[in-house]
Amino acid sequence: MKPFDLRSQKLVICLGPGGVGKTTISAALAVRAAMLGGAVDVMTVDPAPRLLDALGLEEDSSEPVAVALDGIRHSRRGGASSRARLRALRLDPKRTFDSIIARYALSDAERDTILENRIYRNLSGALAGVGDYMAMEKLLELAANPATDLIVLDTPPATEAIDFLDAPRRLLELLNSRAVSLLGAPGGLFRSQLRMVDLAARAVLAAFDRATGLNLLSDVQSFVRSFDGMYEGFSARAARAQDKLRAADTAIVIVTTAESSRIAQAREFIGALEGAGLRVAAMVVNRVLAELPDAAELTSARIAPSLKKKLKRNLADYAALKTREEVSLGALRDSLPAGALLMVAPDLGREPRTIADLAEIGRSISDA
Amino acid sequence: MTLPRVLFVTGKGGTGKSTVAAALAIALSRRRPTTLADLDRRLSAAAALGAMPRDSTAVKVTDTLDAVALTPRAELEAFIERIVPIHAISRRMLRSRTFGYVTAALPGLEAFLLLERLRIMAGDAALEDRYLVIDAPASGSAVELLSVSSGVKGIAPAGTLNRLADSIDGFLADATRFGAVITTTTEDLAVREALETAATIRARLGIVTVAAIVNCVPDLLFDTSELAAMSPLAGHARLAVRRNAAHEQAALIAPRFAEAGVMTISLPMMFTPGIGTAELTKLGRVLHARLLDQ
Repeated sequence: MKPFDLRSQKLVICLGPGGVGKTTISAALAVRAAMLGGAVDVMTVDPAPRLLDALGLEEDSSEPVAVALDGIRHSRRGGASSRARLRALRLDPKRTFDSIIARYALSDAERDTILENRIYRNLSGALAGVGDYMAMEKLLELAANPATDLIVLDTPPATEAIDFLDAPRRLLELLNSRAVSLLGAPGGLFRSQLRMVDLAARAVLAAFDRATGLNLLSDVQSFVRSFDGMYEGFSARAARAQDKLRAADTAIVIVTTAESSRIAQAREFIGALEGAGLRVAAMVVNRVLAELPDAAELTSARIAPSLKKKLKRNLADYAALKTREEVSLGALRDSLPAGALLMVAPDLGREPRTIADLAEIGRSISDA
Repeated sequence: MTLPRVLFVTGKGGTGKSTVAAALAIALSRRRPTTLADLDRRLSAAAALGAMPRDSTAVKVTDTLDAVALTPRAELEAFIERIVPIHAISRRMLRSRTFGYVTAALPGLEAFLLLERLRIMAGDAALEDRYLVIDAPASGSAVELLSVSSGVKGIAPAGTLNRLADSIDGFLADATRFGAVITTTTEDLAVREALETAATIRARLGIVTVAAIVNCVPDLLFDTSELAAMSPLAGHARLAVRRNAAHEQAALIAPRFAEAGVMTISLPMMFTPGIGTAELTKLGRVLHARLLDQ
């Protein structure tokens, strides 16, 4: 298991708070796995422009694009396997959603009704977990390809880890019969099945509509109702997504940095995942300060005393930051779930611009 | 310089947004009474000040500084309680999972109500002559939050909500009442996101960015000849280069913001084992000098 054994996984899901370099770590793990001889897909969400360049992706690469691994030495352990390849793609939630609607709609008319619905057009992006759910959908599509050994999934930045993994269930609940009957049923129908709170909720919406001039209720109703016939398809896909998350060869990796606020967030993630019965395989602490130089070296160095003094100060300054980092890492180590690996990815001191940079990060991710 | 009543602090995740919001609140509270409104569920800015507000009830930090917590959920609850006057029913509704679906199907409503709350708080702040510092969500979500009233106007061409949205948009675009403070580090990615955020909120909503805060800028310690002299000490040289590079990077950032009409303030890197009150006060002094002593 040293370093984190990517070859025994079929799916690696990187979760973490925003701004910790989740996309970089996902890409680095994918490059690493390809170097070890695997056929790898990496799906990114909103990558930085330079990372996009490094992976050779365009703004709208929503289908897998082959990434050239030229110039990167294949690891000897993996050999120069003919299987080895890396493909990257960028998740486009809206486009994926559109294609799902097209797939499950019972008729062209129904498809068009949904695609043209005001709610769908303006607000589908904000609907509970749609982006997250779409990542799952795309994942199932990629996983269906038998020529792929490993999929590395970058996820949208989440305030709560569970948001992402829970997305299929939440979307299903939104579309389930109770919600549909609540919002979708024309007045009078199914009324006996509704509880008082449901009726009250609908009354509030209606009052809200009257007071606001929004006339949203009818659009929400027709939106939810139009999903009625597609429920079966969604439900089956969501169940498959849930199975995939819990499969033995799926690894959930939490990415964080060593800042105390991010560590606190990462610990909450772990707790929430464990609460949902999901196992965290590893934690990667990104942008950890590299090993500091030896202080003794300075004492014996033959350099100007003024420079020596400055170098000592510089070392002391970074040592203070290192101390801050170690305190955070210590807290994390104490709260690590049993069996999970704690790994660190050193700070390159620059943004990754090339595949070689990603390979360097991938190689240097190591146990902490 | 005249600061707006409300300073909305946002920035890319990991750029020290909450630290800057806390330091800014400390800085402003030396001039006038100040309220820190924390929109972050973890309340990290309030926690940095040593306050743990539970809701929109103010918790006193010093004589001139207090902290409140604002959540979209609480705003929605207040709204529902307003339109469903029978307490027992509104309570049950809010607990109902089905009602959760309904609010999920009305996205933007919670965010909209949160903005309306900020507008009302800004009015109170003007009456009481106080500042309001907001620890806002990271830039992506913050832009979404700020844009929500335009979205509402798009789908409600008339009616109460449209009028409310109008007054929110007027509030956001009024430089005496509302301004953004955008945090960044010296990393290019964070700088780009800050520039993009400033441009987007300006173009879309007419929001003025009061300042871009470049966080964690180390002071310049070594000159070129010193860097050359230390080359035999490879490890130390790398560390020295790293420090100098970050400093030089920061110098290149200000012109990029100036081009966009945004003032930059550099905050020093705190080379300390932790960020506590002493560090926040130091950072606050820099902010005070640049924002208020002119």
